[in-house]
Amino acid sequence: MTEATSTSASALPNPISAVRSRLATQSGSRRALLLMAPLIAFELLIFVIPFAILLRISFAAPSSDGVYHEGTWSLEAYQQVFASDLIWSVLGYSFFLGVVVTVLSVAIGLFYAYAIWRSSGVVKSLLLFSVVLPLLTTLVIRTYAFDPLLVPAGLVPGTAGVVVAQLYIVLPYAVLAIYSVMATTDWHVVEAARDLGASRPRSVLEVVVPQVMPGIIVAAVVSFAWSVGAYAAPELLSNSITFAIYVEGLMLSDMSYPTAAALSVVMLGLMSGCIAAIFGVLNRFGGDFELA
Amino acid sequence: MTSNLHRETVETVAFRAGYLALFALMVVPLLVVIATSFSDGARIAFPPENLSLTWYVEFFDSIRWLEAFTSSIIVGVGTAALATLLGVLGAFGQEFDDSSLGSVVAPLVLIPLLIPPVILGITLLMYFNEGGLRGSYVSIILAHTLWATPLVYFVMRSVFSRFDWQQLDAAHDLGAGPVQSFVHVVLPNVKHGVFVGALLAFIISLQEFVMALFLSTSTTQTIPVLAWTELRQAMDPMVSVVSTFLILISLGALALAVIATNLEWVSKQLS
Repeated sequence: MTEATSTSASALPNPISAVRSRLATQSGSRRALLLMAPLIAFELLIFVIPFAILLRISFAAPSSDGVYHEGTWSLEAYQQVFASDLIWSVLGYSFFLGVVVTVLSVAIGLFYAYAIWRSSGVVKSLLLFSVVLPLLTTLVIRTYAFDPLLVPAGLVPGTAGVVVAQLYIVLPYAVLAIYSVMATTDWHVVEAARDLGASRPRSVLEVVVPQVMPGIIVAAVVSFAWSVGAYAAPELLSNSITFAIYVEGLMLSDMSYPTAAALSVVMLGLMSGCIAAIFGVLNRFGGDFELA
Repeated sequence: MTSNLHRETVETVAFRAGYLALFALMVVPLLVVIATSFSDGARIAFPPENLSLTWYVEFFDSIRWLEAFTSSIIVGVGTAALATLLGVLGAFGQEFDDSSLGSVVAPLVLIPLLIPPVILGITLLMYFNEGGLRGSYVSIILAHTLWATPLVYFVMRSVFSRFDWQQLDAAHDLGAGPVQSFVHVVLPNVKHGVFVGALLAFIISLQEFVMALFLSTSTTQTIPVLAWTELRQAMDPMVSVVSTFLILISLGALALAVIATNLEWVSKQLS
């Protein structure tokens, strides 16, 4: 009898603790769900559903009065997009701009991040400050600072001016993305490479670059995504038409919603392809990159 | 040996010259903008011919600019409040999460940052047209929150990852309810992070203009939108005056954030 109670008593804690821990994790994930619910609801209502509607409108028949015929299904908008030479040249120019700015932004960003990493004290604070200050300034001002009227030397208007202004817009993000990874890197590894006879540029290229590859990937993706969709710099500083300027005209002047929606969908598709390619190519050099 | 030393000196000089030139390129454009705000001419010119505060006086007499300023503050505060609420709760919830939900939430929150603002503007304009929210402050606040939330969310993820969760268990063992323990145990430990997150959200909203351009009307337009329209019409120094104010506000916000934490940490959070 005593033996039986003692065994049942000693057997008791196990199932109970199992139940308790299961209860705890259950209430844990329920609490997690409850806390994340507002965020998820927001993303669904303001991001997922609007894009579903955009997709739907891109398949609606364009209407003569501008907007679109509700409840119709048609591929006309996509046909218009794919058949238009103008649209393809606009997209071509946007991607050209995106690639040029991305390459420059990553190269210069890497150099500047390295300079911040290697400096110390007041110099380091000043360099960081020079990156954060433009970041906190509105895009309108950052673009307008490059207006020919403000540049005494007479910045060449046109594509070169647009590239410089757009670079000024994305470079701070590139520098910070690379720097935040670089700051966690061990300097001794670079020293070891130098002790073994590597020159300074070579030690940076072969030791530092692979280690900060996650930062480089973020820098490249952000620079690319924002330059491909550039609006302010090309509009203010050149006569060239980018995707953003063209689609704004479709939407606000022509009021052709289905075409604007279809072009946006095509653009998002092309951009996703390019961003996947950036991930794919750069990952081979650095490996192990996880989103967030 | 000497040639090696020589090469290293050249490298060092080139390296310093390189980053000093970049430093100048980052800061000078903004200084030029500030300098032109003190001119008295009708058109923007650099260097300004005569220094005066004419355009500052003009700013405080201009109802349009003051209204735009009010709109910017309303939208900024609204965005900061909403994004902070969503981001802090979401990141906090993530800490208890053992399902696969969290791995969906993080990319979902992040993706809007990578979508060109023109596409977001078009999409939300079509959406709000159907919902009848077009042109209201609410529509701009919701759009800006889409960009501000990821910043708050990732700042808070990094803050919560350093929080000692045993403190929360201790509070539970002492009988504190979930809300009580959050307010008394968690919040005091992460308040700097919450503050910095809210400031970042405010700044993001203050400077965003493409989405605002699509979603605002003449009564709800924010400062960057009005500055943009003005730039397209007249190149008078008013835009420089407004820019100077915006730069000063951002500097003030940055100073507050740095006092609460430190520059290096804030810089990392921005990326």
